[in-house]
Amino acid sequence: MGKTFKVLAIPYQIWLYILVFVPLIAMVLIAVSNYDSSVPLNQINISLNHWSILVQRQNMIAFRNSVVFAVLTTLISFVLGYFAAYHIFQSKFKNKFIILTIVILPMWSNLILRVDALNNIFSQNNIISSIIGFSPFGNITGKPIAILIGLVFTYLPFMILPVYTALEKIDYALQEAALDLGLTPFKKFWKVIFPLSIKGVVTGSIMVFLPTLAGFAIPKILGKGNFLFIGNVIENKLLSSTIFYNHGSLLAVVILVFILGSILLLTRFDKEGETLL
Amino acid sequence: MTNEKNYPRATLQEYGYKDFSKFEKPVKILKHILFFVIFLMLYLSIIVIAIQSVNSSVRTSEFLSITFDWYPNILQEEDLMTAIRNTFIVSFVATSIATVAGTFFAVGLYSLEKKKRQKIMLLNNVPMLNADIVTGFSLMLMFRLMMPLFPNIFGIFTLVMAHLFFTFPYVVLSVMPKLKETDPNLMDAALDLGIKPYKALIKVVIPAIKAGIFSGMLLALTMSIDDFVISYFNTGAGFDNLSIWIYGVIGRRNLTPSVYAFSTLLTIFTLAGLMGYTFIQHSKKGKKGELK
Repeated sequence: MGKTFKVLAIPYQIWLYILVFVPLIAMVLIAVSNYDSSVPLNQINISLNHWSILVQRQNMIAFRNSVVFAVLTTLISFVLGYFAAYHIFQSKFKNKFIILTIVILPMWSNLILRVDALNNIFSQNNIISSIIGFSPFGNITGKPIAILIGLVFTYLPFMILPVYTALEKIDYALQEAALDLGLTPFKKFWKVIFPLSIKGVVTGSIMVFLPTLAGFAIPKILGKGNFLFIGNVIENKLLSSTIFYNHGSLLAVVILVFILGSILLLTRFDKEGETLL
Repeated sequence: MTNEKNYPRATLQEYGYKDFSKFEKPVKILKHILFFVIFLMLYLSIIVIAIQSVNSSVRTSEFLSITFDWYPNILQEEDLMTAIRNTFIVSFVATSIATVAGTFFAVGLYSLEKKKRQKIMLLNNVPMLNADIVTGFSLMLMFRLMMPLFPNIFGIFTLVMAHLFFTFPYVVLSVMPKLKETDPNLMDAALDLGIKPYKALIKVVIPAIKAGIFSGMLLALTMSIDDFVISYFNTGAGFDNLSIWIYGVIGRRNLTPSVYAFSTLLTIFTLAGLMGYTFIQHSKKGKKGELK
């Protein structure tokens, strides 16, 4: 396409530069300031006193919870998501649009409502047990396993879709060649297909890891407040009577560090974000 | 010499061939079961919501009898209706702007040199990859710092801006691969035939990439309707979308079953719409086949 349309990219560049950089820079600056809702804008000063919250016991536990649950969720989603994507990929059914639809359809219902429904059937007396006579999950609400199941099956579509996209891009001739050269079906998968789909796995893992790491609604609803995640700490900073913008910013900056690491990792595998969808 | 005949013949196993064929069937059945369980788990909450929507008891812990009263009751619940209206206004406004502008942006980006495009695409992916809480929180801080200039900024304006911020990347990312697939000569042919570049863009290029635009729009709408975290931080007092409203009500444990009814309706309509679309696409292809 000609150079005529270059000009169309300019507004988007400006938009991105403003809305990507300005809020982030503001956040980083506020993280090293004394700004909370009791401080007028003209009295903001540089201050590092509140950095002590990073080593507060409660916040350290919240960090550990977030990281542990995010890693576990990503691993489980990887196993289940890869399996599901590979199963769809191998089936004769080739209408991608239907598959996409089936996988993203649950996401059309409200996230909070879905998590609350899960919370309902994770408890002893629930609507399913009232119909079939027993509770399929026992009474796990408020326990770590409930949070884990909730997280995995909320974010699983984010793993299935990129892996499936990556699998679909593999040339079928490569599979035929592998079999002709004498590989067993399992070796074919391990030596040919899996290495070629790694791009989708990396994308999927990041798309699962990040929202889990920073989420706060799912642990709050399914954990009954027993497990504090770093997102909950940030939320609480904003709900208190004095809104501690500096505390919230500092904690968000820490999450941001994780994210920058992930984005760098992703760009090593996928330059233009082709597998993101 | 005669001994030669007695040499044992090597079997396939001795060459290292392992016969796994007897495992094939059970493994296949196991795979189907596991796949079914995964899909059941993905849809578990949807199924529970559907059951709750026809439950005559207000309590979610027991099932009394089937009723459809909660469906017409949606219209009676004022708070719920306001939340639904707010959600749709924000999502439709954000999705329309993101789809139209995002398509043109993608065309613009596609015309850039590869190096520069990759750099911008990196920025483009930031809203998608950044944690919702960081995006939401940092946008809120920016709007907060603008408050001395615009005191009443929080509300529908900030909400739409925030939604635009995370829906644009989905449109750009869906349109871009379609642009790469289109024949580069298409544009030149149109220009040679004497139409102006922007007219060619609308008449020739846009129809060629409309599948990408459509899927981008769908993704943008999905993300926008379902968003909770970013909206939670960027809305003003009194302008709740569905997620924020439900999050608030869940804490007080008095959610009206009409919410489940609305959610179920939305799922059914979405499913019907998408199935209808696929069916139309399918029959179109069938007709093309006949012509050949």
